[in-house]
Amino acid sequence: MPEADAAAGTEPVRIDPITFAVLKSALDTIVDEMAGTVMRTARSPIVRDVLDYSATLCDRNGLILSQAKTVALHLGAVPDAMEVIVSRFAGSVRPGDVFILNDPYAGGMHLPDIFMIRPVFEGERLQGYSVVVAHHCDMGGRVPGSNAADSTEIFQEGLRIPPSRLYAGGEPNETLFDLIRTNVRVPDLVMGDLDAQLAACTIGEREIRRLVARHGERELHAYFDALLDYGEELTRKGIAAWPDGTYRFTDYIDGDGFSDAPIPICCAIIVDGDSLVVDFDGSSPQVRGAINATFSFTKSSAYLAVRCALSQDVPNNAGVYRAITVTAPKHSILNPDMPAPVAARALTGYRVVDAVLGALAKVAPERIMAAGEGGNTVIAIGGYDKQTAEPFILVDMINGAWGGRRDKDGVEGITNPAQNMSNLPIETLEARYPLRMEEYALRPDSCGAGRFRGGLGLSRQYRILADDTILQVRADRTATLPYGLFGGEPGTPSRNILDPDGRRTELPGKFTRLVGRDTVIRHEQAGGGGNGDPLERDLGAITEDLRNGKISGNYAEIRHGVVFAADGVTIDVAGTAARRDGMRDEREKDRR
Amino acid sequence: MRETGRIGVDIGGTFTDIVLFTDRGRTVSRKTPSTPLRPEQAVLTGIRLALEESGLEANDIVSVLHGTTVGSNAILQKRGGRTALVTTRGFRDVLEIGRLRTPGMFDLSWDKPEPLVPRHWRYEVSERIAANGAVIALLDGQQLLDVGAFLQAEGIESVAICFLNSYRNPAHEREAEAILRERFPEIAVTTSVAVLPEQREYERTSTTVVNAYVLPVLREYLVSLADGLKAMGLDAPLFVSNSNGGLAPAALAQEKPVFFISSGRAAGVAGAGNLGTRIKAPDLVAFDMGGTTASASLVKDGKLSRTTEYEFRSGISTPSRFIKAGGYMMRVPTVDVAEIGNGSGSIAYVDDGGLTCVGPISAGADPGPACYGTGGDKPTVTDANLVLGFLPDRLAGGSMMLDVDAARTAIARHVADPLGLSIEEAAFGIRAIANANMARAIRAVTIERGLDPRDFKLLAYGGSGPNHACDLARILNMPEVLFPPAPGVFTAMGMLSGAIEHFLIRSLQQPLDRIEPATLQAMTRDLADEAIRELSARGHDRDAIGLGFEIDLRFAGQDSELQVPFDPDRLEDEIGALRPRFLELYREMYGYVSRDGVEAVNMRLTASIAAGTADIWQRAPETVTEAGQRPAERTRPVYFERGGGWRDTPIFDRDGFAGPVTGPLAIESADTTIIVPPGATAGTDPAGNVVVTIDA
Repeated sequence: MPEADAAAGTEPVRIDPITFAVLKSALDTIVDEMAGTVMRTARSPIVRDVLDYSATLCDRNGLILSQAKTVALHLGAVPDAMEVIVSRFAGSVRPGDVFILNDPYAGGMHLPDIFMIRPVFEGERLQGYSVVVAHHCDMGGRVPGSNAADSTEIFQEGLRIPPSRLYAGGEPNETLFDLIRTNVRVPDLVMGDLDAQLAACTIGEREIRRLVARHGERELHAYFDALLDYGEELTRKGIAAWPDGTYRFTDYIDGDGFSDAPIPICCAIIVDGDSLVVDFDGSSPQVRGAINATFSFTKSSAYLAVRCALSQDVPNNAGVYRAITVTAPKHSILNPDMPAPVAARALTGYRVVDAVLGALAKVAPERIMAAGEGGNTVIAIGGYDKQTAEPFILVDMINGAWGGRRDKDGVEGITNPAQNMSNLPIETLEARYPLRMEEYALRPDSCGAGRFRGGLGLSRQYRILADDTILQVRADRTATLPYGLFGGEPGTPSRNILDPDGRRTELPGKFTRLVGRDTVIRHEQAGGGGNGDPLERDLGAITEDLRNGKISGNYAEIRHGVVFAADGVTIDVAGTAARRDGMRDEREKDRR
Repeated sequence: MRETGRIGVDIGGTFTDIVLFTDRGRTVSRKTPSTPLRPEQAVLTGIRLALEESGLEANDIVSVLHGTTVGSNAILQKRGGRTALVTTRGFRDVLEIGRLRTPGMFDLSWDKPEPLVPRHWRYEVSERIAANGAVIALLDGQQLLDVGAFLQAEGIESVAICFLNSYRNPAHEREAEAILRERFPEIAVTTSVAVLPEQREYERTSTTVVNAYVLPVLREYLVSLADGLKAMGLDAPLFVSNSNGGLAPAALAQEKPVFFISSGRAAGVAGAGNLGTRIKAPDLVAFDMGGTTASASLVKDGKLSRTTEYEFRSGISTPSRFIKAGGYMMRVPTVDVAEIGNGSGSIAYVDDGGLTCVGPISAGADPGPACYGTGGDKPTVTDANLVLGFLPDRLAGGSMMLDVDAARTAIARHVADPLGLSIEEAAFGIRAIANANMARAIRAVTIERGLDPRDFKLLAYGGSGPNHACDLARILNMPEVLFPPAPGVFTAMGMLSGAIEHFLIRSLQQPLDRIEPATLQAMTRDLADEAIRELSARGHDRDAIGLGFEIDLRFAGQDSELQVPFDPDRLEDEIGALRPRFLELYREMYGYVSRDGVEAVNMRLTASIAAGTADIWQRAPETVTEAGQRPAERTRPVYFERGGGWRDTPIFDRDGFAGPVTGPLAIESADTTIIVPPGATAGTDPAGNVVVTIDA
């Protein structure tokens, strides 16, 4: 507004609702454009096909203004990274600087995730930050992919990059570039993906400067502040509508890869007026295996779960966090000490989300689903391709199934809500790696039964066509299953099977091993939990699932009390009703 | 000599537009109500009326050019044929699994669209081809025959065949096609290599399935239409506009309907490009605004902006080119249109946090905007425009009265009161937010591609586009806005200016610097021969065929390509020029280039023939008075500026308007109202366009 600009003094900028709406939309467009740039220019399959990255704009204090529809788990971790950059480089940030970091103990999450942060200047005055976080397919360390669950200290996990200048005043820091290039197994992909991050950060910078030119610095920052207030206000309104009280839920991780002891994630949600505390007191102490989650990542996971229970109108900005306090005990798996290993911490994040959603189901059942597959399964296959003598690393991620909702079934073949990831095309995978895919399919009968069933898990079966390959798998939900809600049953456990068409050896959820040519590895992912009483499931829906081979006749009989007519296909409606009554009576007896 | 004519037909949701253009330069246009259940009825009625009015006989018509929404409606309303999929063992769920992503986030109530082929109609057979094209397992013919028997028993009308890695070796798909066609001739067959011989199984399967699904419906429609035309004595060739903005014979549309899903819309953009070239305005943004959505598309150097894939979805697609989710994926050449869920019927509301929003929910035609008095009580963009004087209080040439009080009440209740604003301020806000939303569509095709909107003129058409276009031009600093003579039937006009196109693609898949000139030469020759053979067989003169070659290039390891044109006649020079040309395009788009190797992915050929025998845009001049512009006979108060209050605004009729007149003014015709804000100047050009110069 011109009149506000003219009054360059200290009187507050009047926030015009129209300009406000226009600016909000402009920021959402910019982050989206940044995200599209990464996708179209990246080199590694994990970034360009699986889309494991995020794009964010921050204000000049490092507070998030908007995030693209990318990996949600990164959203809450950006503030901590920004805090480190802002405090460590206070007073020395210059135009043309670009910062990177990946150290989990200095603003990062795990080593493969490199944060790139580009401060935006107009003249000499800081206007904000353009941020892109990308999961690189290798950061060195003992296992290809730098993602192993079975490391025992951070020093095994790869190259740690403390907060550093990758560019200083526009000049590349060749030492740092060399250091990275030298320490990773596939430097072309890593350097190419850094280029993609920089391209996107540069677009963010250009667009913020356009906004400054259009609105003037003073007015623009006043609107940025108003946007954060708006995020906070909507969040508080949502929370205020929930009944005050403490809501608890505990979920488990199967084990850390060294021990099979279930690892508890305990969550208490305390709703108090228009603010909310998520307290993880009682959760497991930090563990030996690499599934410890830095506190920034724990917060990130908790925020996004709470966000799922709020209205769709709530924007993706830092104002949301003002209404939410997250606490986790020190030295715990959710707030570990250096040098605890953290590479496979995403798993813990997924379980934090499950635990928080489990507690929120008591507050906002209409927005919450039963547990999904429990987070993506990561399969890393690395070695040397004999034909080309080139190193190769495949980091493949298997997603996913949603649990049953209050009024409809879960979704199958879908990203975990904590990310927004895609999958790697089979034909791309086969053209690039010495691998052949033997199956990629929905897994029948894997759904948790319910009035609304969970989504089916997926199965993916690989044949390895190279010699002496390192195979590393991170899977969970082999023992502690995706929970059902309101009488719904849990989903089926996940499994790793070696040589499924031959000797069929079942392997643990998390392992690293050397395998030979023609090894076949199959992963069967857990299905989503059910929602509501399986005996109340609509017969039409059951018939449809039977017809589509998503469930078997046996499943329908046992889980849903279905009785078939003599043809073995048609449902005997009266017989089913009688059998269901009988099953309910049994249940009643058991309860007594 | 007898006067002959060509007919352009565009079927819309509400009206079917017919434009008849004769070789003597006469134009007759007709709008008839659409007949969604039997769309050909409205077409035939409209053509009959247009013939009557023109005095031409049916056999004076030399061609009928057609844009149809039958394909998109079949998907939208799930009314395609009974369709099956045959695929490689282990992979029947590829179609349903898709690419996993969700278009929004934090929304656990989201649902994926139902696959067009349900799981029980997706059959697996034993066969396998490796990534290098080698056969690992032979196709099991007996299994295929068993599958055929199932298909027959299930009453399947159309089957898609998609095997893994068939883009490297199509032998198994061809074999399966031959077997099924021979033994089950009543079932239509689409192989994936016939529509999209490209890597990526989900995209290829989905494209093939859309083709198979739409095929029976589009075929039935086109046959009925041809029969109806024949019955009235109209035996001229029938062409259908494809998603790429070109025209192709109806026979091709029956065989490969997936290339024709965005049939009409693309023709409008093609028309914009054509008009632009004619009037020496090669750089344009074509802007169309309807009831539910607004869309923008780019024309640069006279060329349409195109993309190689898009998703069809039932809801609204945003101009985001990043999110792929929630639709039916088609990798086919398509005019790149950014669409946003904001049209004249979009509803305005204030959310819980006090943010004013417009769209994407639309009042549509039913219940309609509050001012229509047809049951709607929510404020829409149309209501805001009416309250502010941007629209007259009667539409469609006076046949429809609008209720200003109802519009004011709706705006007061839902926007002005909650925000503590006056009704005018709130209405102005609604219009401003709608403008900001629609500007996103224009941004998506300009700024997001590194192009400065100031270098483009805005061409506005559709019923509502002209009402907002000057505001959008101001937001984006665009210097000039063009309004074609009949914005309401512009798409049908566009078809009459279109070119016949034939599209071919071959997989290259190798580093650019390792391609032998001989390989490239052989491939260009093969493609050219095939295109010329195909078009000659349809009776086209070989010399009239223009060939445009492009190579899809990317840096080694990337997944997205840029289309780089090249000239096959100067192959030796061109091979060296491809890399720098790619780098230039790449830098323009992404702001940097890499030193890495460049990969060639596909070669594309678009063979085209200009279809027009006369120039549709060289219209007989309007009845312009020699003495210059007469002053307006009436005025109306219009609320142009917030705080600036009402301006008494002269209202001109489009008929007889010549200009120049400096704004504020409005120019009205039966199908639209052009708004020219204060400071801007409206004139006309020789082609009959209204041209508005926006003040800097």
